Amino acid sequence: MTVNEIVDELRATRPRASDALRLQVLTLASRPAPPARTLLGRTRVRRRLALLVPAAAAVAVASAVVVGLTRSGPHGQLAPTTPEAAQRSAGATAGRLTGPPSASDAATPQKAAPGPVAGRAQRYSAALSLQVDDTTALSEATQQALAIVRDLGGFVVSVHYATGEDGSASLTLEVPSARAGDAVTRLSDLGTILAQDVQIDDLQESLDTLDRRLGQVRARIVALTAAIDRASGAAVRARLTRQRAQARAELRDLRGTRSATAAEARDARIQLDLRAAGDASVPASGSRLDRALDKALAVLAWEAVVVLAIVVAAAPLALLAGAVWATRRTRRRREEERLLATS
Amino acid sequence: MTIEQPLATRSPRTLAEAAEAHLDDVVGYLLYLTRDRETAEDLASSTFEKALRLWGRFDPARGSARTWLLGIARTTALDWFRAESRRRRREEAAAVPERIEDSLGEGLSPELEAALAALSAGEREVLALRIVLELDGDAAARVLGISPTAVSTRLSRALKRLEEKVNEG
Repeated sequence: MTVNEIVDELRATRPRASDALRLQVLTLASRPAPPARTLLGRTRVRRRLALLVPAAAAVAVASAVVVGLTRSGPHGQLAPTTPEAAQRSAGATAGRLTGPPSASDAATPQKAAPGPVAGRAQRYSAALSLQVDDTTALSEATQQALAIVRDLGGFVVSVHYATGEDGSASLTLEVPSARAGDAVTRLSDLGTILAQDVQIDDLQESLDTLDRRLGQVRARIVALTAAIDRASGAAVRARLTRQRAQARAELRDLRGTRSATAAEARDARIQLDLRAAGDASVPASGSRLDRALDKALAVLAWEAVVVLAIVVAAAPLALLAGAVWATRRTRRRREEERLLATS
Repeated sequence: MTIEQPLATRSPRTLAEAAEAHLDDVVGYLLYLTRDRETAEDLASSTFEKALRLWGRFDPARGSARTWLLGIARTTALDWFRAESRRRRREEAAAVPERIEDSLGEGLSPELEAALAALSAGEREVLALRIVLELDGDAAARVLGISPTAVSTRLSRALKRLEEKVNEG
């Protein structure tokens, strides 16, 4: 008997179901199927993944675009905080705010700088580092800085202005302390903030101490003068007169110190550094679109780092799970082969 | 005017349609595996019970209804083989009556019947799928969970052994 004859015979004698079974199965199969499961339940793991992966990627890209667009305002400005809030953050007595020195932070600087607290004597000093587009903008920004200071009733202590491939300007400005916060805010608008440093030292306590001391010395002088008038002996009078002279000298010193302290509190000093964008050491300002793209790319990079971290953390577990699954599958296959080979 | 496609070439809309079209295939396959008609019919019935529960998961894009039903039949048969194996181990010491083996098909010659009985269930399985039910290599591979190449190899060996056994007798 050849293989072809065997095949023909096997096909010709193909088994058929009995009528009883046919009736039973057809009756069974005609029953209503169990209710369909939800869409999520029906989809298989691979399909779910096939939907989930692009959906997650779309969400990641969309969030990066949204962040890029919302945080790419003029000069990378965030919605400014209120001066009051900034004031609170600076503290009522003394404080120091340091602007963002890093390139990434430069895109999101704090612009609404705190000013001195009204009614208190405070020494206020600020340092601002700004970037402008080019040397033309550098010149304009310098002129505008001078105009702002004049407008606020202040004056220029010194100006250093240099043009060339990497143009820069350095201005030392003084404005009335009451308008210092306003000055920093307006000056910040002249370019992209690279760094901002505000320092506020409270002088009110020193002034109060000086005032108390002045009162005491004045009272002492009055008392000494009265004692001199009443003194009978020449020696006593000479000693009291010497003491009054010392008290008057002390009064002069105290007045001088108070005057200098009050002067420190009266004017705020602002150091403004401007740089043209040609300087390679600072990040380029670019258009809003550029900034939005930069920000979006930064967010995407951050998302990639997070995903990578998750993958790195989950990889050993996934490998282990895969190995267990493969081992179980292989064992099951072997067991099935053995069953079918021995039956 | 619409022309109704024959059921054999289109995907069935209901399990009843699938059962009508492929019941003989399922029974034939299970009979070749078990060599016991009663068992094969019981397993066929179980297969369609499972199929009714799983009908919502059947996806014609992933394979035909016949392949899907034969896959369920195979799982059902393997469960039965496992149970049989455990039963045999339990009753090893006792004198267990031999199972009466039925004819695999009406009109099958005694030599071929005997030769088929000498083959393993795995060998009869591939013969049933590829020769008796005439499934193509890919469909048989899907039912068996192996590659089409492995199906060809298995079929070739089974046919060779069957030919040897027939000619021995």
